[in-house]
Amino acid sequence: MSRGAWLVSRLLQMVPTFLLIGLAVFVLARLLPGNAVMALLGDRGSDEAVARLTRQLGLDQSIGMQLLAFLESVLRGQFGTSLAFRIPVTRLIAERLPVTLMLTGMAIVIALALALPLAFVAALKVNRWPDLLIRGVFQVGLSSPIFYVGLVLLTVFAAWLRIFPVGGYGDTFAEHIYHLFLPAVTLAFSLSAIVMRNLRASILSVIRAEYVDFARAKGLRSRVVLLRHVLRNALIATVTLVGLHIGSLLGGAVITETVFAVPGVGRLMVDSIFARDYPVIQALTLVLAVLVSLAFLVTDLVQMWLDPRVGR
Amino acid sequence: MDNGSSVGRRFVLGGGVGLATLATMGMPTAARAAAVRGGRMVYARYADSLFLDPVLSDANVDIWVMNSIYDTLLMPTPEGIGVQEGLATKWVLGDGGKALTLTLREGVKFSDGTPLKASDVKWSLDRARNPKNGAWNEMIASIDAVEITDPSTVVLKLKHPDPTLLPALAMFNTGILPQAAFAAAPGATEDEKAKAFAEKPIGTGPFMLTEWQRGQRMLLKRNPHYWKKAPDGQPLPYLDELEFAIIPDDATRILKLKAGEIHGTEFVPYSRVKELQADKNLRMELWPSTRVAYLTLYVRDKLKNGQDNPLSNVKVRQALNYAVNKDAVIAITTLGLGKPLQSFMSSSTPLSRKDGPVYRYDPAKAKALLAEAGFANGLELSCIALAGNQDEMNNLTTVQQMWAQIGVRLKIELLDNPTRTARYRAEDFQMRTAAWTDDIADPSEITSYFAYYPNIHALHSGWEEKRVNELFLQSQQEVDPAKRQAQYAELQKIYVDAAPILFLYETPYPVAFRGNAKGFVQIPLGNNYFEAAYVEK
Repeated sequence: MSRGAWLVSRLLQMVPTFLLIGLAVFVLARLLPGNAVMALLGDRGSDEAVARLTRQLGLDQSIGMQLLAFLESVLRGQFGTSLAFRIPVTRLIAERLPVTLMLTGMAIVIALALALPLAFVAALKVNRWPDLLIRGVFQVGLSSPIFYVGLVLLTVFAAWLRIFPVGGYGDTFAEHIYHLFLPAVTLAFSLSAIVMRNLRASILSVIRAEYVDFARAKGLRSRVVLLRHVLRNALIATVTLVGLHIGSLLGGAVITETVFAVPGVGRLMVDSIFARDYPVIQALTLVLAVLVSLAFLVTDLVQMWLDPRVGR
Repeated sequence: MDNGSSVGRRFVLGGGVGLATLATMGMPTAARAAAVRGGRMVYARYADSLFLDPVLSDANVDIWVMNSIYDTLLMPTPEGIGVQEGLATKWVLGDGGKALTLTLREGVKFSDGTPLKASDVKWSLDRARNPKNGAWNEMIASIDAVEITDPSTVVLKLKHPDPTLLPALAMFNTGILPQAAFAAAPGATEDEKAKAFAEKPIGTGPFMLTEWQRGQRMLLKRNPHYWKKAPDGQPLPYLDELEFAIIPDDATRILKLKAGEIHGTEFVPYSRVKELQADKNLRMELWPSTRVAYLTLYVRDKLKNGQDNPLSNVKVRQALNYAVNKDAVIAITTLGLGKPLQSFMSSSTPLSRKDGPVYRYDPAKAKALLAEAGFANGLELSCIALAGNQDEMNNLTTVQQMWAQIGVRLKIELLDNPTRTARYRAEDFQMRTAAWTDDIADPSEITSYFAYYPNIHALHSGWEEKRVNELFLQSQQEVDPAKRQAQYAELQKIYVDAAPILFLYETPYPVAFRGNAKGFVQIPLGNNYFEAAYVEK
């Protein structure tokens, strides 16, 4: 199978996945007790007000009709109108999605920038003090809850030292990076620990492999051996790991976005669930599912490049 | 608006802000220290607004800020008890209390520059009282017709004399909108037009909304046509720009305030008030409020699931009230910032009973009452509460321990907000945590929900007292203030004795500002006033 055909088949495989996810979230959202009318009107509205809003929001229609309307709106590339904000869902998500993507992207870059060199140092100095120190520090990162790490970073770097802003997103691209730096570090914390430990372990196993001994025996310089033979092979497992963690990064963004007042889709998702804002919940779940699937696809592509045996 | 939901946890009460601030608010004639013109104030809110239509919206996140954009004919006084001039400069009751003649202020313009006309007033009031519109039309249901007698005079013809009409004309839902701009908004139906209009609202208020990134921030600019003048004779507001930053996390809002990234924040948690009071760079403000915290007690003989309900016995309800040490609950949940209740309504609500705290802590009496009711060996009760709300949990666990002393075992069931509301409306609960703030400077609103059965079965408790219903209906048409006061005194006494709620406490609104950010006012109804706010350089 050619690379192109493989790609097309992978993309086609995603379609039924999305259909199933869409259907599941449609049903699950409606299984939650209470609905958007209860969330919007609260304790106050009269029975007539409840009936009127239920009709206005289309929640008086049968589940089947609602599902048809949902599917139709998805096929037209729209997702209806938010029940809570009363503006198109696409507009709401378009405003927020870039923020979360940038936050997650920065978190991955920071996690790798920390983990890659330190994993090397730890592996090359295995069981000596640099290794123990690096592992010890990352163990703390691995076992600290995200909201706590966030608050500590905020207190130290934003409130005391005033190096970074406490929260928000800013207006220009440079401001975005500046505002998202602390939240991205927070989000990167546990990922970098996982990547570091994993990469260190793979380096240790690769470094003892025969082909590495052979490369050395050929007289290659040790830097070339490390980069071309050790790192490339050790990275294969790491790439898979990072790919698999994109989903949990997006999940972690929910907490990070709340602590740092970052207006991304994570916070929107939580708000929408509490508001029983079905159209937003459905649309966001689908969008996140597409993102995670694409991340897996990219992971596979990178793996193929690292290890030509994959995908043959 | 009831805010026992996600809002509740962030409220507080107690001391007060200097009277000087109160007196200057909205009163251009009062002297004030030199205010600074221009600049931007950033104020952090815990949640964004949803829908800025005064008639169709119903959440505090909308209600509390709409007065920055829309004006009403009358306005609440800062202490929240009376009314003062708004878009109307004179109001005269005639025809035996069945006609209210309002003289409109000269020269008022909307923020789009068009003049305010009597027809805008008539159209806005007709829209607000249309029974098909929103949750608030009942508040002005006594209006029979709105008539324009000359370009600056509007007469409200009433079905019956209505003592609540004046405060109702100062309530957000009677805000005046420009009819032409509303009609010109895109959309085929009224609802669509309302949605479009509320995105770029136009009013006569001090500010106009110019940018809105939902969930992130709102930017308001000063309305160059605003009619109100500062004491120096120059137009208000002082600020060029007012930004609402949306920051849901309590700790983050406070960090940003301390770092100087924002000028002020609402809803400082009780636990942080003392710390902010001690910070020399900040000013902690505790505004008197109408917020009350309580538990609703379901009083019908059988619960929704068919079980016998001990709370149907008034002695049990009284025993539960006597068994709770309100001062201890206040100390634990509000760190001493609350005050025990003297009625079901706050002490800031007009005509509220002020005979001292109800049900003073008396565990012996509580035990005796339980024994009289046939529960000498104790009983088990359950209460639904909002998950994640620290204040409600503190209240409930404290109450739980106190009740254990008289043999009452309390089961706590945590729910999220829509679930809790659905259970409440279905009257499927035994006890329920809740909080309330008034929207109108009159006792009628809270009474219609808490005590008058036909509205919502007295908070869905099922409690009904014919005499209370009578008193309420009479008071709704009683224009003699002394008689109305007597009716409310009797009504509140009956209510307190019957105890269809567990009386807890009232709390102030806790807001904090940087030392150089001044002039903000929050009235007991919760509305935020920024017209006289300014930031010193």
